[in-house]
Amino acid sequence: MPLHGSAERVEDGSIPGKAGIGLRFRHHQVVIDNKPPVAWFEVHTENYMGGGAPLRYLDAIRRDYAISLHCVGLSLGSGEGLDPGHLDRILRVVERVEPALISEHLSWSISSGVYLADLLPLPLTEEALATVCRHVDQTQNYLQRRILVENPSSYLRFRHSTIPEWEFLAAIALHTGCGILCDVNNIYVSAANHGWQASEYLAALPPSAIGEIHLAGHRVARLEGGRRLRIDDHGSRVIPEVWQLYSEALSRFGPVPTLIEWDTNVPRLEILLDEAARGQSLLESVRPGFTHADAG
Amino acid sequence: MPTLVEVQRAMRRSLVERDDAEAAAYILSDGLAPGVRLNVYRNTSTAALTTALRLSYPAVHRLVGAEFFEAAVKIFIKTEPPHSAYLDEYGAAFPEFLAQFPPVASLAYLAGVARLEWAVNRSLHAPDFETVDLSRLSAIDPANHGGIVLLAHPSVGLVWADDPVDAIWRAVLAQDDTAIATIDLGSGPVWLLVQRAESGVDIMRISEEEWRFAKQLCSGRPLQAALDAAPGLDVAAALAGHLAAGRLIGFRLESTP
Repeated sequence: MPLHGSAERVEDGSIPGKAGIGLRFRHHQVVIDNKPPVAWFEVHTENYMGGGAPLRYLDAIRRDYAISLHCVGLSLGSGEGLDPGHLDRILRVVERVEPALISEHLSWSISSGVYLADLLPLPLTEEALATVCRHVDQTQNYLQRRILVENPSSYLRFRHSTIPEWEFLAAIALHTGCGILCDVNNIYVSAANHGWQASEYLAALPPSAIGEIHLAGHRVARLEGGRRLRIDDHGSRVIPEVWQLYSEALSRFGPVPTLIEWDTNVPRLEILLDEAARGQSLLESVRPGFTHADAG
Repeated sequence: MPTLVEVQRAMRRSLVERDDAEAAAYILSDGLAPGVRLNVYRNTSTAALTTALRLSYPAVHRLVGAEFFEAAVKIFIKTEPPHSAYLDEYGAAFPEFLAQFPPVASLAYLAGVARLEWAVNRSLHAPDFETVDLSRLSAIDPANHGGIVLLAHPSVGLVWADDPVDAIWRAVLAQDDTAIATIDLGSGPVWLLVQRAESGVDIMRISEEEWRFAKQLCSGRPLQAALDAAPGLDVAAALAGHLAAGRLIGFRLESTP
Protein backbone atom coordinates (compact mmCIF):
# COMPACT_ATOMS: atom_id res chain seq x y z
CA MET A 1 0.00 0.00 0.00
CA PRO A 2 1.48 3.40 -0.96
CA LEU A 3 2.26 5.63 1.99
CA HIS A 4 1.46 9.01 0.51
CA GLY A 5 2.18 10.93 3.69
CA SER A 6 5.76 9.81 3.76
CA ALA A 7 6.17 10.37 0.04
CA GLU A 8 5.30 14.01 0.61
CA ARG A 9 7.82 14.20 3.34
CA VAL A 10 10.53 13.00 0.95
CA GLU A 11 9.52 15.57 -1.60
CA ASP A 12 9.11 18.50 0.78
CA GLY A 13 12.73 19.48 0.25
CA SER A 14 14.43 17.88 3.23
CA ILE A 15 16.95 16.42 0.77
CA PRO A 16 17.21 18.76 -2.20
CA GLY A 17 17.99 17.73 -5.76
CA LYS A 18 21.67 18.23 -5.02
CA ALA A 19 24.81 16.14 -4.71
CA GLY A 20 25.61 14.34 -1.45
CA ILE A 21 28.39 12.07 -0.22
CA GLY A 22 28.42 8.61 1.34
CA LEU A 23 29.81 9.26 4.83
CA ARG A 24 32.29 6.73 6.24
CA PHE A 25 33.83 6.59 9.72
CA ARG A 26 37.18 8.07 8.71
CA HIS A 27 35.47 11.36 7.75
CA HIS A 28 33.25 11.80 10.83
CA GLN A 29 35.62 14.13 12.63
CA VAL A 30 36.58 16.29 9.66
CA VAL A 31 32.92 16.79 8.76
CA ILE A 32 32.08 17.88 12.32
CA ASP A 33 35.13 20.16 12.50
CA ASN A 34 34.98 21.75 9.03
CA LYS A 35 31.31 21.53 8.04
CA PRO A 36 32.17 21.06 4.34
CA PRO A 37 29.78 22.45 1.71
CA VAL A 38 27.87 19.24 0.93
CA ALA A 39 24.10 19.24 0.55
CA TRP A 40 23.57 15.97 2.46
CA PHE A 41 25.17 12.71 3.62
CA GLU A 42 24.18 9.09 3.37
CA VAL A 43 25.29 6.43 5.88
CA HIS A 44 24.90 2.68 6.10
CA THR A 45 22.18 2.00 8.67
CA GLU A 46 23.91 -1.19 9.84
CA ASN A 47 26.93 0.83 11.07
CA TYR A 48 24.81 2.69 13.64
CA MET A 49 22.84 -0.08 15.30
CA GLY A 50 24.76 0.00 18.57
CA GLY A 51 25.42 2.86 20.99
CA GLY A 52 28.57 4.77 21.82
CA ALA A 53 30.75 6.90 19.56
CA PRO A 54 29.31 6.17 16.07
CA LEU A 55 25.82 7.36 17.06
CA ARG A 56 27.25 10.37 18.90
CA TYR A 57 29.10 11.43 15.75
CA LEU A 58 26.02 10.87 13.61
CA ASP A 59 23.86 12.93 16.00
CA ALA A 60 26.36 15.79 15.71
CA ILE A 61 26.43 15.59 11.90
CA ARG A 62 22.63 15.33 11.75
CA ARG A 63 22.37 18.73 13.44
CA ASP A 64 23.96 20.36 10.35
CA TYR A 65 22.99 18.07 7.47
CA ALA A 66 20.09 16.07 6.11
CA ILE A 67 20.82 12.34 6.33
CA SER A 68 19.80 9.44 4.13
CA LEU A 69 19.86 5.93 5.64
CA HIS A 70 21.04 3.26 3.23
CA CYS A 71 20.39 -0.29 4.45
CA VAL A 72 22.54 -3.18 3.22
CA GLY A 73 21.26 -6.17 5.16
CA LEU A 74 17.48 -6.35 5.31
CA SER A 75 17.48 -8.91 2.48
CA LEU A 76 14.26 -7.80 0.80
CA GLY A 77 14.46 -10.78 -1.57
CA SER A 78 14.72 -13.55 1.02
CA GLY A 79 12.36 -16.41 0.21
CA GLU A 80 12.22 -17.27 3.90
CA GLY A 81 10.85 -13.90 5.07
CA LEU A 82 12.32 -10.77 6.64
CA ASP A 83 14.19 -10.92 9.94
CA PRO A 84 11.88 -8.94 12.27
CA GLY A 85 14.80 -8.29 14.63
CA HIS A 86 16.75 -6.56 11.88
CA LEU A 87 13.72 -4.57 10.77
CA ASP A 88 13.33 -3.39 14.36
CA ARG A 89 17.00 -2.37 14.57
CA ILE A 90 16.45 -0.28 11.41
CA LEU A 91 13.36 1.31 12.97
CA ARG A 92 15.36 2.36 16.03
CA VAL A 93 18.01 4.06 13.87
CA VAL A 94 15.25 5.72 11.81
CA GLU A 95 13.61 7.08 14.97
CA ARG A 96 16.91 8.41 16.22
CA VAL A 97 18.20 9.95 12.99
CA GLU A 98 14.92 11.07 11.35
CA PRO A 99 16.38 10.54 7.88
CA ALA A 100 15.07 12.29 4.79
CA LEU A 101 15.44 9.10 2.72
CA ILE A 102 15.60 5.36 3.49
CA SER A 103 16.78 2.83 0.94
CA GLU A 104 17.52 -0.88 0.46
CA HIS A 105 18.58 -3.08 -2.44
CA LEU A 106 16.84 -5.31 -4.93
CA SER A 107 18.79 -8.31 -3.68
CA TRP A 108 18.96 -10.88 -0.93
CA SER A 109 21.66 -11.81 1.60
CA ILE A 110 20.12 -14.22 4.12
CA SER A 111 19.31 -17.92 3.67
CA SER A 112 18.55 -20.45 6.42
CA GLY A 113 19.38 -17.78 8.99
CA VAL A 114 22.89 -17.24 7.60
CA TYR A 115 23.90 -13.74 6.55
CA LEU A 116 25.99 -14.02 3.38
CA ALA A 117 27.58 -10.54 3.53
CA ASP A 118 26.94 -9.56 -0.07
CA LEU A 119 24.08 -8.21 -2.18
CA LEU A 120 23.11 -11.36 -4.04
CA PRO A 121 21.12 -11.45 -7.29
CA LEU A 122 17.54 -12.69 -7.48
CA PRO A 123 16.04 -14.97 -10.07
CA LEU A 124 13.71 -12.46 -11.76
CA THR A 125 10.50 -14.50 -11.62
CA GLU A 126 6.88 -13.81 -10.68
CA GLU A 127 7.54 -15.61 -7.38
CA ALA A 128 10.50 -13.35 -6.56
CA LEU A 129 8.51 -10.25 -7.57
CA ALA A 130 5.67 -11.20 -5.22
CA THR A 131 8.20 -11.88 -2.44
CA VAL A 132 9.99 -8.55 -2.82
CA CYS A 133 6.70 -6.62 -3.03
CA ARG A 134 5.46 -8.33 0.15
CA HIS A 135 8.68 -7.40 1.96
CA VAL A 136 8.67 -3.79 0.72
CA ASP A 137 5.07 -3.47 1.96
CA GLN A 138 6.06 -5.00 5.30
CA THR A 139 9.03 -2.64 5.64
CA GLN A 140 7.09 0.50 4.69
CA ASN A 141 4.32 -0.42 7.11
CA TYR A 142 6.74 -1.14 9.93
CA LEU A 143 8.78 2.02 9.41
CA GLN A 144 5.69 4.07 8.50
CA ARG A 145 7.80 5.51 5.72
CA ARG A 146 8.23 5.14 2.01
CA ILE A 147 11.51 3.46 1.05
CA LEU A 148 13.59 3.49 -2.11
CA VAL A 149 14.73 0.23 -3.71
CA GLU A 150 18.09 0.22 -5.52
CA ASN A 151 18.95 -1.66 -8.69
CA PRO A 152 21.92 -3.99 -8.04
CA SER A 153 25.10 -4.63 -9.99
CA SER A 154 25.32 -8.29 -10.90
CA TYR A 155 27.74 -10.89 -12.19
CA LEU A 156 25.36 -13.74 -12.99
CA ARG A 157 21.85 -14.37 -14.27
CA PHE A 158 19.56 -17.31 -13.57
CA ARG A 159 18.34 -19.56 -16.36
CA HIS A 160 14.74 -19.39 -15.19
CA SER A 161 14.46 -15.58 -14.94
CA THR A 162 11.53 -14.33 -16.98
CA ILE A 163 11.28 -10.60 -16.18
CA PRO A 164 13.84 -7.99 -17.33
CA GLU A 165 15.39 -6.25 -14.31
CA TRP A 166 14.09 -2.80 -15.33
CA GLU A 167 10.53 -4.14 -15.58
CA PHE A 168 10.95 -5.90 -12.24
CA LEU A 169 11.95 -2.60 -10.56
CA ALA A 170 9.12 -0.66 -12.19
CA ALA A 171 6.65 -3.33 -11.05
CA ILE A 172 7.86 -3.11 -7.42
CA ALA A 173 7.36 0.67 -7.48
CA LEU A 174 3.93 0.30 -9.06
CA HIS A 175 2.68 -2.37 -6.62
CA THR A 176 4.12 -0.97 -3.36
CA GLY A 177 4.37 2.78 -3.91
CA CYS A 178 8.05 2.64 -3.06
CA GLY A 179 10.55 4.78 -4.91
CA ILE A 180 13.52 3.67 -6.98
CA LEU A 181 17.11 4.44 -6.12
CA CYS A 182 18.66 4.46 -9.58
CA ASP A 183 22.33 3.46 -9.32
CA VAL A 184 23.69 4.63 -12.65
CA ASN A 185 27.03 2.88 -12.13
CA ASN A 186 25.22 -0.38 -11.37
CA ILE A 187 23.23 -0.06 -14.59
CA TYR A 188 26.47 0.51 -16.50
CA VAL A 189 28.20 -2.45 -14.78
CA SER A 190 25.30 -4.90 -15.20
CA ALA A 191 24.65 -3.78 -18.79
CA ALA A 192 28.31 -4.38 -19.66
CA ASN A 193 28.36 -7.76 -17.88
CA HIS A 194 25.15 -9.06 -19.42
CA GLY A 195 25.06 -7.34 -22.78
CA TRP A 196 22.11 -5.05 -21.98
CA GLN A 197 21.63 -1.56 -23.40
CA ALA A 198 22.11 0.88 -20.51
CA SER A 199 20.05 3.58 -22.22
CA GLU A 200 17.12 1.21 -22.70
CA TYR A 201 17.33 0.26 -19.02
CA LEU A 202 17.11 3.95 -18.02
CA ALA A 203 14.28 4.59 -20.46
CA ALA A 204 12.21 1.76 -18.95
CA LEU A 205 12.24 3.20 -15.41
CA PRO A 206 9.26 5.34 -14.37
CA PRO A 207 10.66 8.89 -13.94
CA SER A 208 8.22 9.85 -11.17
CA ALA A 209 9.43 6.95 -8.99
CA ILE A 210 13.10 7.93 -9.05
CA GLY A 211 13.91 9.31 -5.58
CA GLU A 212 17.70 9.19 -5.64
CA ILE A 213 20.66 8.43 -7.89
CA HIS A 214 23.92 6.70 -6.89
CA LEU A 215 27.27 7.17 -8.61
CA ALA A 216 30.49 5.27 -7.88
CA GLY A 217 33.60 3.80 -9.44
CA HIS A 218 34.11 0.17 -10.39
CA ARG A 219 36.95 -2.03 -11.57
CA VAL A 220 37.43 -4.40 -14.48
CA ALA A 221 38.47 -7.98 -13.64
CA ARG A 222 40.04 -10.24 -16.27
CA LEU A 223 38.84 -13.79 -15.76
CA GLU A 224 39.25 -17.13 -17.48
CA GLY A 225 39.58 -17.08 -21.26
CA GLY A 226 40.32 -13.34 -21.23
CA ARG A 227 36.63 -12.60 -20.46
CA ARG A 228 36.21 -9.30 -18.63
CA LEU A 229 33.75 -8.67 -15.83
CA ARG A 230 33.05 -5.24 -14.38
CA ILE A 231 33.04 -5.38 -10.56
CA ASP A 232 31.22 -2.75 -8.53
CA ASP A 233 33.83 -2.13 -5.80
CA HIS A 234 33.21 1.60 -5.07
CA GLY A 235 36.96 2.06 -5.02
CA SER A 236 37.73 4.75 -7.58
CA ARG A 237 36.38 7.82 -9.38
CA VAL A 238 33.26 7.65 -11.52
CA ILE A 239 34.35 6.83 -15.08
CA PRO A 240 33.48 9.15 -18.04
CA GLU A 241 31.02 6.66 -19.53
CA VAL A 242 29.05 6.63 -16.26
CA TRP A 243 29.04 10.44 -16.08
CA GLN A 244 27.63 10.38 -19.61
CA LEU A 245 24.92 7.92 -18.57
CA TYR A 246 24.22 10.11 -15.52
CA SER A 247 23.58 13.11 -17.80
CA GLU A 248 21.15 10.96 -19.72
CA ALA A 249 19.45 9.98 -16.44
CA LEU A 250 19.14 13.62 -15.38
CA SER A 251 17.55 14.55 -18.69
CA ARG A 252 14.92 11.86 -18.09
CA PHE A 253 14.44 12.13 -14.31
CA GLY A 254 15.20 15.78 -13.57
CA PRO A 255 17.44 17.03 -10.75
CA VAL A 256 17.25 14.01 -8.40
CA PRO A 257 19.35 13.91 -5.17
CA THR A 258 22.61 12.27 -6.25
CA LEU A 259 25.11 10.44 -4.06
CA ILE A 260 28.82 9.78 -4.53
CA GLU A 261 29.71 6.41 -2.97
CA TRP A 262 33.25 5.27 -2.15
CA ASP A 263 33.81 2.23 0.11
CA THR A 264 37.11 0.59 -0.87
CA ASN A 265 40.32 2.51 -0.06
CA VAL A 266 38.25 5.53 0.99
CA PRO A 267 40.21 8.65 -0.09
CA ARG A 268 40.55 12.10 1.49
CA LEU A 269 37.26 13.97 1.81
CA GLU A 270 38.51 16.50 -0.78
CA ILE A 271 38.39 13.83 -3.51
CA LEU A 272 34.78 13.03 -2.62
CA LEU A 273 33.91 16.74 -2.54
CA ASP A 274 35.43 17.06 -6.00
CA GLU A 275 33.31 14.19 -7.36
CA ALA A 276 30.20 15.67 -5.71
CA ALA A 277 30.96 19.09 -7.25
CA ARG A 278 31.05 17.48 -10.69
CA GLY A 279 27.66 15.88 -10.02
CA GLN A 280 26.35 19.19 -8.71
CA SER A 281 27.32 21.06 -11.88
CA LEU A 282 25.49 18.46 -14.00
CA LEU A 283 22.45 18.73 -11.71
CA GLU A 284 22.44 22.49 -12.19
CA SER A 285 22.58 22.11 -15.94
CA VAL A 286 19.16 20.42 -15.91
CA ARG A 287 16.92 23.11 -17.30
CA PRO A 288 14.84 25.02 -14.76
CA GLY A 289 11.18 24.15 -14.50
CA PHE A 290 11.84 20.52 -15.39
CA THR A 291 8.91 18.26 -14.64
CA HIS A 292 8.64 14.54 -15.06
CA ALA A 293 6.08 15.09 -17.79
CA ASP A 294 8.93 16.46 -19.91
CA ALA A 295 10.58 13.07 -19.91
CA GLY A 296 7.51 11.76 -21.71
CA MET B 1 11.82 -24.51 -12.16
CA PRO B 2 13.49 -24.15 -8.73
CA THR B 3 11.69 -22.11 -6.08
CA LEU B 4 13.23 -18.95 -4.69
CA VAL B 5 14.10 -20.73 -1.45
CA GLU B 6 15.77 -23.58 -3.36
CA VAL B 7 17.91 -21.15 -5.37
CA GLN B 8 18.91 -19.27 -2.23
CA ARG B 9 19.85 -22.44 -0.29
CA ALA B 10 21.95 -23.58 -3.25
CA MET B 11 23.69 -20.17 -3.32
CA ARG B 12 24.31 -20.39 0.43
CA ARG B 13 25.92 -23.83 0.00
CA SER B 14 28.06 -22.37 -2.77
CA LEU B 15 29.21 -19.31 -0.79
CA VAL B 16 29.63 -20.87 2.66
CA GLU B 17 30.42 -24.51 1.96
CA ARG B 18 32.04 -24.02 -1.47
CA ASP B 19 29.68 -26.58 -2.98
CA ASP B 20 28.79 -25.04 -6.37
CA ALA B 21 27.10 -28.04 -7.98
CA GLU B 22 23.42 -27.15 -7.51
CA ALA B 23 23.76 -23.36 -7.79
CA ALA B 24 25.80 -23.67 -11.00
CA ALA B 25 22.97 -25.62 -12.63
CA TYR B 26 20.63 -22.63 -12.19
CA ILE B 27 23.04 -20.07 -13.70
CA LEU B 28 23.52 -19.01 -17.34
CA SER B 29 27.08 -19.49 -18.55
CA ASP B 30 27.06 -16.77 -21.23
CA GLY B 31 30.78 -17.09 -21.90
CA LEU B 32 31.91 -17.51 -18.31
CA ALA B 33 31.62 -20.63 -16.15
CA PRO B 34 28.97 -20.32 -13.39
CA GLY B 35 31.63 -21.30 -10.83
CA VAL B 36 33.71 -18.28 -11.80
CA ARG B 37 30.65 -16.05 -11.47
CA LEU B 38 29.80 -17.50 -8.04
CA ASN B 39 33.38 -16.93 -6.99
CA VAL B 40 32.99 -13.16 -7.49
CA TYR B 41 30.27 -13.16 -4.83
CA ARG B 42 32.17 -15.57 -2.56
CA ASN B 43 35.25 -13.32 -2.67
CA THR B 44 33.23 -10.21 -1.77
CA SER B 45 31.49 -12.03 1.05
CA THR B 46 34.72 -13.44 2.49
CA ALA B 47 36.42 -10.05 2.23
CA ALA B 48 33.54 -8.31 4.03
CA LEU B 49 33.55 -10.82 6.89
CA THR B 50 37.35 -10.75 7.15
CA THR B 51 37.22 -6.96 7.44
CA ALA B 52 34.50 -7.17 10.11
CA LEU B 53 36.59 -9.59 12.19
CA ARG B 54 39.80 -7.59 11.66
CA LEU B 55 38.03 -4.50 13.03
CA SER B 56 36.88 -6.46 16.10
CA TYR B 57 40.18 -8.33 16.60
CA PRO B 58 42.94 -5.88 15.58
CA ALA B 59 45.53 -7.17 18.07
CA VAL B 60 44.98 -10.82 17.09
CA HIS B 61 45.33 -9.70 13.45
CA ARG B 62 48.70 -8.12 14.21
CA LEU B 63 49.91 -11.00 16.37
CA VAL B 64 49.32 -13.68 13.72
CA GLY B 65 49.79 -11.52 10.59
CA ALA B 66 47.33 -10.71 7.80
CA GLU B 67 47.89 -13.87 5.77
CA PHE B 68 47.38 -16.26 8.68
CA PHE B 69 44.40 -14.22 9.94
CA GLU B 70 42.67 -14.48 6.55
CA ALA B 71 43.26 -18.22 6.38
CA ALA B 72 41.92 -18.73 9.93
CA VAL B 73 38.86 -16.54 9.22
CA LYS B 74 38.04 -18.62 6.12
CA ILE B 75 37.78 -21.72 8.30
CA PHE B 76 35.94 -19.87 11.07
CA ILE B 77 33.18 -18.41 8.86
CA LYS B 78 32.40 -21.86 7.48
CA THR B 79 31.50 -23.17 10.94
CA GLU B 80 30.33 -19.89 12.55
CA PRO B 81 28.78 -17.70 9.84
CA PRO B 82 27.00 -14.48 10.90
CA HIS B 83 23.24 -14.41 11.30
CA SER B 84 22.53 -10.76 10.53
CA ALA B 85 24.01 -7.75 8.78
CA TYR B 86 24.62 -6.09 12.15
CA LEU B 87 28.25 -7.21 11.90
CA ASP B 88 29.39 -5.38 15.05
CA GLU B 89 27.75 -8.35 16.78
CA TYR B 90 29.59 -10.94 14.69
CA GLY B 91 32.55 -12.93 15.97
CA ALA B 92 31.68 -13.80 19.59
CA ALA B 93 32.83 -17.39 18.96
CA PHE B 94 36.21 -16.42 17.48
CA PRO B 95 38.17 -16.59 20.80
CA GLU B 96 37.00 -20.16 21.47
CA PHE B 97 37.73 -21.05 17.84
CA LEU B 98 41.31 -19.81 18.31
CA ALA B 99 41.60 -21.70 21.62
CA GLN B 100 40.84 -24.94 19.73
CA PHE B 101 42.79 -24.11 16.54
CA PRO B 102 45.86 -26.40 16.40
CA PRO B 103 48.10 -24.06 14.30
CA VAL B 104 48.11 -21.46 17.13
CA ALA B 105 48.35 -23.94 20.02
CA SER B 106 51.85 -22.63 20.82
CA LEU B 107 50.52 -19.06 21.31
CA ALA B 108 48.91 -19.79 24.67
CA TYR B 109 47.97 -16.14 25.24
CA LEU B 110 46.23 -15.65 21.85
CA ALA B 111 42.74 -16.80 22.89
CA GLY B 112 43.01 -14.62 26.01
CA VAL B 113 43.87 -11.56 23.91
CA ALA B 114 40.91 -12.43 21.66
CA ARG B 115 38.55 -12.68 24.67
CA LEU B 116 39.70 -9.24 25.79
CA GLU B 117 39.19 -7.84 22.27
CA TRP B 118 35.66 -9.25 22.14
CA ALA B 119 34.88 -7.57 25.48
CA VAL B 120 36.31 -4.31 24.10
CA ASN B 121 34.24 -4.67 20.92
CA ARG B 122 31.04 -5.37 22.87
CA SER B 123 31.76 -2.41 25.11
CA LEU B 124 32.34 -0.04 22.16
CA HIS B 125 29.03 -1.00 20.52
CA ALA B 126 26.84 -1.59 23.57
CA PRO B 127 23.57 0.37 23.55
CA ASP B 128 23.46 3.69 25.37
CA PHE B 129 21.82 3.78 28.79
CA GLU B 130 21.41 6.52 31.33
CA THR B 131 22.81 5.61 34.73
CA VAL B 132 19.82 5.89 37.06
CA ASP B 133 19.53 7.36 40.51
CA LEU B 134 19.91 4.48 42.90
CA SER B 135 18.87 6.48 45.97
CA ARG B 136 15.60 4.56 45.84
CA LEU B 137 17.64 1.59 47.07
CA SER B 138 17.57 3.15 50.54
CA ALA B 139 13.80 2.66 50.65
CA ILE B 140 14.26 -1.11 50.55
CA ASP B 141 13.93 -2.98 53.83
CA PRO B 142 17.48 -4.07 54.79
CA ALA B 143 16.07 -7.56 55.34
CA ASN B 144 15.54 -7.74 51.56
CA HIS B 145 18.94 -6.40 50.49
CA GLY B 146 20.19 -9.87 49.57
CA GLY B 147 17.47 -10.08 46.91
CA ILE B 148 18.42 -6.87 45.10
CA VAL B 149 19.43 -7.51 41.49
CA LEU B 150 21.55 -4.67 40.13
CA LEU B 151 21.55 -4.01 36.37
CA ALA B 152 24.99 -3.35 34.96
CA HIS B 153 25.56 -1.05 31.98
CA PRO B 154 25.92 -3.28 28.90
CA SER B 155 29.27 -1.65 28.11
CA VAL B 156 30.76 -3.25 31.24
CA GLY B 157 32.64 -6.46 30.51
CA LEU B 158 34.70 -8.84 32.65
CA VAL B 159 37.58 -10.93 31.36
CA TRP B 160 40.26 -12.96 33.08
CA ALA B 161 43.29 -14.64 31.57
CA ASP B 162 46.33 -16.65 32.65
CA ASP B 163 48.59 -14.18 30.84
CA PRO B 164 48.87 -10.36 31.01
CA VAL B 165 46.67 -9.97 27.95
CA ASP B 166 45.92 -6.31 28.73
CA ALA B 167 49.62 -5.44 28.50
CA ILE B 168 49.98 -7.53 25.31
CA TRP B 169 46.90 -5.85 23.78
CA ARG B 170 48.16 -2.33 24.53
CA ALA B 171 51.71 -2.97 23.35
CA VAL B 172 50.64 -4.72 20.15
CA LEU B 173 48.13 -2.05 19.14
CA ALA B 174 50.65 0.70 19.94
CA GLN B 175 53.26 -1.29 17.96
CA ASP B 176 55.53 -0.68 20.94
CA ASP B 177 58.35 -3.24 20.57
CA THR B 178 60.03 -2.14 23.81
CA ALA B 179 56.84 -2.76 25.78
CA ILE B 180 56.31 -6.11 24.03
CA ALA B 181 59.85 -7.18 24.96
CA THR B 182 59.31 -6.40 28.65
CA ILE B 183 56.03 -8.34 29.04
CA ASP B 184 56.48 -11.14 31.58
CA LEU B 185 54.24 -13.97 30.39
CA GLY B 186 54.71 -15.75 33.71
CA SER B 187 53.44 -12.83 35.81
CA GLY B 188 50.27 -14.68 36.72
CA PRO B 189 46.60 -14.28 35.90
CA VAL B 190 44.93 -10.89 35.30
CA TRP B 191 41.37 -9.98 36.32
CA LEU B 192 40.05 -7.25 34.04
CA LEU B 193 37.09 -4.90 33.98
CA VAL B 194 36.29 -3.30 30.59
CA GLN B 195 34.09 -0.22 30.33
CA ARG B 196 33.30 2.30 27.60
CA ALA B 197 34.88 5.69 28.29
CA GLU B 198 34.33 9.13 26.74
CA SER B 199 36.71 8.18 23.96
CA GLY B 200 37.47 4.50 23.52
CA VAL B 201 37.41 1.85 26.22
CA ASP B 202 39.03 1.63 29.67
CA ILE B 203 40.59 -1.66 30.72
CA MET B 204 41.25 -1.87 34.47
CA ARG B 205 43.01 -4.56 36.48
CA ILE B 206 41.02 -5.41 39.60
CA SER B 207 41.46 -8.03 42.33
CA GLU B 208 40.11 -11.55 41.90
CA GLU B 209 37.57 -10.89 44.69
CA GLU B 210 36.33 -7.67 43.06
CA TRP B 211 36.12 -9.50 39.74
CA ARG B 212 34.07 -12.40 41.13
CA PHE B 213 31.71 -9.97 42.85
CA ALA B 214 31.29 -7.88 39.69
CA LYS B 215 30.84 -11.01 37.57
CA GLN B 216 27.86 -12.08 39.65
CA LEU B 217 26.31 -8.61 39.45
CA CYS B 218 26.83 -8.40 35.67
CA SER B 219 25.29 -11.84 35.26
CA GLY B 220 22.05 -10.60 36.80
CA ARG B 221 22.57 -12.52 40.03
CA PRO B 222 21.11 -11.13 43.29
CA LEU B 223 23.34 -9.27 45.72
CA GLN B 224 23.47 -12.23 48.11
CA ALA B 225 24.97 -14.46 45.42
CA ALA B 226 27.56 -11.78 44.66
CA LEU B 227 28.43 -11.51 48.35
CA ASP B 228 28.82 -15.28 48.61
CA ALA B 229 31.19 -15.27 45.61
CA ALA B 230 33.53 -12.73 47.25
CA PRO B 231 33.50 -13.37 51.01
CA GLY B 232 36.54 -11.23 51.86
CA LEU B 233 35.50 -8.15 49.86
CA ASP B 234 34.65 -4.69 51.22
CA VAL B 235 31.29 -4.77 49.46
CA ALA B 236 30.23 -1.24 50.38
CA ALA B 237 33.40 0.17 48.80
CA ALA B 238 33.05 -2.04 45.72
CA LEU B 239 29.43 -1.01 45.15
CA ALA B 240 30.25 2.66 45.70
CA GLY B 241 33.00 2.33 43.11
CA HIS B 242 30.66 0.80 40.52
CA LEU B 243 28.06 3.50 41.20
CA ALA B 244 30.54 6.36 40.95
CA ALA B 245 31.93 4.97 37.68
CA GLY B 246 28.44 4.80 36.16
CA ARG B 247 28.46 1.02 35.78
CA LEU B 248 24.96 0.47 37.18
CA ILE B 249 21.80 1.49 35.36
CA GLY B 250 19.06 0.21 37.64
CA PHE B 251 17.87 -2.49 39.98
CA ARG B 252 14.96 -4.75 40.71
CA LEU B 253 13.98 -6.78 43.71
CA GLU B 254 14.02 -10.51 43.16
CA SER B 255 10.79 -11.98 44.39
CA THR B 256 11.68 -14.41 47.17
CA PRO B 257 9.65 -17.57 47.47
